Formats: sequence, structure tokens, C-alpha cells
Amino acid sequence: MIGALKWWAGPLLAFALLAALRLLLPLAFVIEVLIFSIYTIGCSFLLGRVGFISFGQPAYLAVGAYGTGFYLFYFGTNPYLGLLIGLVSGFVFALAVGPLFVRLRSDYFALVNLALAVIIFYLMQKVLADVTKGDNGLWFLTNIGSTPGLDIARPEGFFVFSLLVGLAVWAFYKYVNDSVFGACCLASKLNEDKLKFLGYGNFGIRLMAFVLANTTSALAGSMYAIYLGFVSPEITSPARAADPVVVTILGGTGSLYGPIIGTLAYTGMKDAISKLVGNWELAIGFLLVFIMLAGEKGIWGTLEPRLQRALSRVKARVAR
Amino acid sequence: MSADSDAAIVRAENVTKRFGALTAVDQVSYSLRRNEVAGIFGSNGAGKTTFFNLLTGYYVPEEGSIWYKGEDITRRPIQQRVAMGMMRTFQLTSTFDNLSVVDNLVLAFYRAHRSVSLWRMLFSTCRAHRNEPRVLAALETFDLGDQRDKEVRHLSLGEKRRLEIAMSMLAEPEVLLLDEPLAGLADSEIKSVLEVLGRQVGKQTIVIVEHKVSAVKEFVQRLLVMHEGRVIAEGGYDECMQHPEVRRSYWQIDARQRGDEQ
Repeated sequence: MIGALKWWAGPLLAFALLAALRLLLPLAFVIEVLIFSIYTIGCSFLLGRVGFISFGQPAYLAVGAYGTGFYLFYFGTNPYLGLLIGLVSGFVFALAVGPLFVRLRSDYFALVNLALAVIIFYLMQKVLADVTKGDNGLWFLTNIGSTPGLDIARPEGFFVFSLLVGLAVWAFYKYVNDSVFGACCLASKLNEDKLKFLGYGNFGIRLMAFVLANTTSALAGSMYAIYLGFVSPEITSPARAADPVVVTILGGTGSLYGPIIGTLAYTGMKDAISKLVGNWELAIGFLLVFIMLAGEKGIWGTLEPRLQRALSRVKARVAR
Repeated sequence: MSADSDAAIVRAENVTKRFGALTAVDQVSYSLRRNEVAGIFGSNGAGKTTFFNLLTGYYVPEEGSIWYKGEDITRRPIQQRVAMGMMRTFQLTSTFDNLSVVDNLVLAFYRAHRSVSLWRMLFSTCRAHRNEPRVLAALETFDLGDQRDKEVRHLSLGEKRRLEIAMSMLAEPEVLLLDEPLAGLADSEIKSVLEVLGRQVGKQTIVIVEHKVSAVKEFVQRLLVMHEGRVIAEGGYDECMQHPEVRRSYWQIDARQRGDEQ
């Protein structure tokens, strides 16, 4: 019982803090942080656990978003069902491209994913323009029906929903990190030959990690679709391809809470600087270079050991 | 079964492996009997490790075949050979440096005694296996108890080697192949590793690739001496050391080693 409580303490605290943020900051900001964190944790898992850097995460984000978008624009009104469809599309898509991609080395993997994001961008913008309405995108905000129970068609309801989804996703990744599979991912990142000679198959381990991570990205895409009420090719724009990687490194690669911290810092910086400076993207670019040079462990990687030391000091004092 | 126990458990027939113009292993035939302790010796570049890599499936030979318990495994992938009961260590110690000592052991234990299924791996935690009697026994036997929760990257070379051997023994393979398990170890560590291996004599087939023959001469029952990719002698220790070709190549190494140490 105490063990379970201790296990849940971290994720619960993190999301309680995010919920409390709502008191200080606008709803739109906190929701953006929640969704983008979910988007980033997949990327962080791939990079930190499996050693795969991907510059094509928008591709998977877009598959989730368009899965949900097509359903809500053409077929139905239930946002929960839309979310499920987005999630399943992401899963199926990752399972389809994964077997080809996970055979590649990390650098080629990064590029092939980027190429995929570009392909999807042009598919949605030009090739399938009849269905996707090209650059205008699909607008379905008014199609989304209210739901009994938690009404995610309204921003407040959606905020609570995002908190719950986030908590579930974090608990899931915390569990995966503790599992034998999670250990195998780390092992495969470092020494795939040794893993083979213990009798494990690297391919299966990587494929599963790939599918888990990119289904999570698709989930974030679905959530964007429902929250914003529209999807346009902009979501898979190659210009945004490096964002999750940057946020991952900023937060602390592979750490459980890095993606949340990184997203908070990144989104916060974007908001604050864009209000002050005209060319905010340039300013952020310089700031990011500086931050990366200052600490390659990222924010959480630098903070965590300090927090743990402080925590053990407090514990020692309490014990006395 | 009883007739089988004397028969070869691993057999190589005329295997050849080339790297470009270099023939690293040239027409080598060799057979390992069940539960014997065999040594493969030779100078640097003699082809020991390449031959070892052919036996364990790291390379596929250009010519010849490799048999395990009467089955042709020449082209079988590594995983299948492991599942059949072959396990190896590496010349350059090979552990998972980003995991704790105990989790390295858990991975070795889990695959051998629990499951291969990805789903099972996802739905079982490392924590649940850290106190398995066999894992605890391995920590004890290899004197790694104090390092249990340390990340392997913080271990000394000797400790890493002990861990790697512990991992391969934890899987309880029928054939244990050790590639220079004593290289870089202090004399006291060599003694303790040999002591642990000594307890397995008669229970497992053990093959040791070594460079320094003197360290394990009492331990191995049969030698294969290689030179420039060929087998130059095979048999008991004394018998091999008397062999004129071995004397020529082996003393030559010994002299060079003394030169290095000075």
C-alpha cells in the first residue's frame, strides 16, 4: 500500500502542480503544455531509452490529428470516439512503417522520419486536397457534440480530461521504465550485440518501443484536433520537425519529467518573448543554443540530483 | 543418451573465414565433447577469436559447417544458438553499462528462465526479479553484492568481467564459451574467477580462448593451438607444448610478452 502510494507520488505531484498552474496562467497555455508534454514524452522515450533521434515526430502527430479530424468532419460527432480513432490510426501507422524504420541506424532514422513528415505534409496539403481541403484545413469545431460525464467539447472539461490523460500516460511510461522491456531498451541502445548473445531480439524490442512512442505522439495529435476544432497541414510542417527533439533535450533526455519541464520552459519562453520582441523566433534560437551549451543534461537532468539531495536532507531532519 | 554423452556437442568441419585477402580461419576442424573444459590458444592474430565468432554465430563461415548436438547450425542466427544452449562472453568486456549490476543479471536470468515474449517483458518489472534466488546467488558467488545497485559504468574492469561471466553462467548454458576471460585481471581476481569456473567442471562444457596459457594450464583438459588461422596442435597441455611448431610460435609470443612487460 505504502509502496503503491510512493510509486504514484511522483506523477500525482507533477499533475497536481500542472493543475495548480491553472490558477496563475491562462487555460490555453496550460492545455498547450499538457498536450505538448504528451507529444514530447514519446520523442524523449525514443531518444533517451532506445537511442533513436527522430526529426519526423510531426508525421505521427498528424496521423493522430487527421484520424480524429476525418471522423469528426465527415462521419460523426463523438469526440471520445474521435480520439480513439486517432489513437488507433497512430498505432496502425507506426506498426506499418516501424518494421522498415527500426532497422536503420540512428542518423538515418532521424532523416527517414523527417522525409516521412515532409511526405505527409504534401499529401495533406496538395495530393489529398479534395479530402483535406488543403491549406485551409478541416474545420469541425461545431461538429463536436457534447458528451455526458466529462464534456470535452468545452475547454474546462477538456482541461480536466488532458490532466487525466497526462497522468495516465506518465504512469504508463513510469511503468515501462521499470519493466524488463524498459531495461532491454536501455540495453539495446548501448550494446545490441550483447543483448543478442543473451538471446533477445533487438528488432522486436525496438519495434515495440517505436510503436509505443509514436502512438503516444498520435494521441497528442488527436488531442490537438479536438481541442482546436480543426486540422491543417501546418501540424506536420517540416519547420516544426525539430520542436519535440529540442524540448526533449531542453527538459533532460530520457528522464520521466524532462518532457513536462522542457515543454513548460519552451512554451513559456515562446509566449514571454513573443510579447516583447518582434523577431521572437530568432531570440529563442539564440537562447536555446545557450541553454544547450550550458547544460547538456537539460533542466530536469540538472535539477533532479539537487532535488534528491534536498529531499534526503529533509528526510534526515524529520528522522531526527 | 549415454552414447550421446561421449559424442561431440559442438563440431566444426573444415571451416574457413576470410576477410578480404586475409584468411583468418583456414580449414579448421574441431570437436568439443560434452562437459569437457577445452582451451583455444595462440598468439595475437592466430584466428582464435574469429574461430570463436564462427562457433557462436557472430560470423558465418565461407566454407565448412558447424554442428551442435548433431544439427547443422552453420547458418542459424545467434538467438537460436543461445536458445539451444550456447552462451559466450566477449574479449572486450561486454555488459550494459547504463544499467545497475543487478539489472544486468536480471536480463540474463529473465531470458533464460522466464520468457522471450515481448508482452511478458512489458508486463513484468525488473524489481520483481531482483531477489530471485539465482540472481542473489550470482551476486554472492561473484562477490558483487556490494555493487548490487551501482551502475555498471562505475565498476572496475575486474568487476565488469566477473559480472559478464556471472551473466553468462546465470543462463546455465550447456556450452559456455569465454573469450579471454582473464585478460586485464589481477592475479587474485584470476584465482577467484577460475575458482568459480572450477565448480562448473563436469556440469557444463567450457571453452576458454586465452592468450596466456600458463594461467589456465591446470584448468583446461584439452588444448587447441592455433597459428595464422590453422590448427597446429591438439591434445593435452604437455603434449601440445612439446609440439615443435607450438614451441616455435608459442615461445616467440612468450618472449614478446616479456619484452612488453619490461
